[in-house]
Amino acid sequence: MKDSGNEIVLMKGNEAIAHAAIRCGCDGYFGYPITPQSEILETLAVQKPWETTGMVVLQAESEVASINMIYGGGAAGKRVMTSSSSPGVALMQEGITYMAGAEIPGLIVNVQRGGPGLGTIQPSQGDYFQATRGGGNGDYNVIVLAPSSVQEMADFVDLAFELAFKYRTPAMILSDGVVGQVMEKVVLPPFKPRRTEEEVLRECPWATTGHTPDRPVNIITSLELRPEAMEKHNLHLQEKYSIIRANEVRYEELQTEDAEYLIVAFGSAARIAQKAISDLRKEGIKVGLLRPITLWPFPTDRIIELCSQVKGILTFEINAGQMVEDVRLAVNGRIPVTHYGKMGGIVPTPNELIDVLKKDFKI
Amino acid sequence: MDNIKQPENIVYQKPALLNDTDMHYCPGCSHGVVHKLIAEVIEEMGMENKAVGVSPVGCAVFAYKYIDIDWQEAAHGRAPAIATAIKRLWPDRLVFTYQGDGDLACIGTAETIHALNRGENIAIIFINNAIYGMTGGQMAPTTLMGMKTSTCPYGRQADLHGYPLKITEIAAQLEGTCYVTRQSVHSVAAIRKAKRAIRQAFENSMNHRGSSLVEIVSTCSSGWKKTPVEANKWMEEHMFDFYHVGDLKTV
Repeated sequence: MKDSGNEIVLMKGNEAIAHAAIRCGCDGYFGYPITPQSEILETLAVQKPWETTGMVVLQAESEVASINMIYGGGAAGKRVMTSSSSPGVALMQEGITYMAGAEIPGLIVNVQRGGPGLGTIQPSQGDYFQATRGGGNGDYNVIVLAPSSVQEMADFVDLAFELAFKYRTPAMILSDGVVGQVMEKVVLPPFKPRRTEEEVLRECPWATTGHTPDRPVNIITSLELRPEAMEKHNLHLQEKYSIIRANEVRYEELQTEDAEYLIVAFGSAARIAQKAISDLRKEGIKVGLLRPITLWPFPTDRIIELCSQVKGILTFEINAGQMVEDVRLAVNGRIPVTHYGKMGGIVPTPNELIDVLKKDFKI
Repeated sequence: MDNIKQPENIVYQKPALLNDTDMHYCPGCSHGVVHKLIAEVIEEMGMENKAVGVSPVGCAVFAYKYIDIDWQEAAHGRAPAIATAIKRLWPDRLVFTYQGDGDLACIGTAETIHALNRGENIAIIFINNAIYGMTGGQMAPTTLMGMKTSTCPYGRQADLHGYPLKITEIAAQLEGTCYVTRQSVHSVAAIRKAKRAIRQAFENSMNHRGSSLVEIVSTCSSGWKKTPVEANKWMEEHMFDFYHVGDLKTV
């Protein structure tokens, strides 16, 4: 394992996820192979963390089993994760909604590919709706982090676990085939040991670790047949989500200080947008970038603020137009909002984006 | 007669882990007996502080309300996957699932087979009453040929519904299983044997000997539309004929 403090290494985003998991005290990974993210499980298998940190690594029989292993491990207080790509994450939705309902922390990584259905193995951002609207049945949300670089793939693993345990809710890293497969420089996070049994018991007094006389029995369930009690539980969840909305919005801005136009893009699309903005500015067109890092909670308030500064917003996503709905909800008709994207696994170029922006805003 | 209730006179009592919550099970149902056996075995093994149960979707969904240990309630069929993770992450815990036939042998077939085939150090308690009890008497994967349910009202027939699944026989073929047995709880003798089987399965989990599956051929008097006594009799006459009671595998 590459193991020096601040050494810069070159690796794929998927590999960075695996190394970061080992380094951030992850207790277990449970997953099923699917392109374009299989390097995560493969890297873990090569690294053999069960011999070093004691991390469990298991290839499950399906994504359905994988997510339920995350349910079981998270409900037992452990930092556990799975990863998959779009069709596999669709299969996981049952387990994710059970986790949200039962308030179980855990990490799901989605390295998106094009859909619908079996779709393609090429990159896409077509699962934005699925990720940010909950994805399964019932009223719930999942914390969604969108990395746009290999460095963020590495950094967000620990962040996702911290948020998941802080709020007792599943967290997702919504990546895509570009960020998963591209090789970039990355500084791997420093080693953080796995929590000891005593630390787990102290941090997770709610977990099913075996009933000791010093506490009531712990029962992890999402079931409640009494409507009044179920409503109360739902209100509790919604209260939690409102706290997350108030405290955990993350985004990055690039050259928005003097921007007259704004591009909103996340993940790999934001990288393409950066190049487009750089070229547009050479032509004297003042464009800035707002990159949501948390897709849920969404940086609604910042977009509202920018409405009084910019003349129009172009939402750029590698899909048919999904995040643009959140942008429009924030803008609420104040200024024009357009969308550009491609589907089917085609990644647009900066030049396409430049042409679209000029056309949309008649520059 | 009041002073007869002295500790030295007690020959039988409710296990301490079985709490006073009224059970929702119907009169004559096997679940209550099996719950009691599990509570007794955990107590006798001294595993009250280490046991983690995984309850299913089906009639036993509320198992967690009756036995005072830590529980996780699983999605339909997924209990073996959940138990897999708990046991691998907490290897010194006693981890078991409690599942019905629809949960284990139908929607959760993949999770069941693969957890057993991996040799997960878990015990699976499998209640087979050949019907879906909780949803109101629909056909199960284990419903006998000719048996009537609300979704095969004219009797199960092969061309319409396929055949009853002997998943326990399949489990016995898997390398990962160390103990596969089929029991019942319709008589005192059978209850004693079933308890020994549960104890064996739980000890296997603690000794990391591989996967154990204990099927309990059970009654569902409501689903079968019989009195408890008739249900027991019907089980002996029909269920045992197809689901032979006894050990299928002991390693």
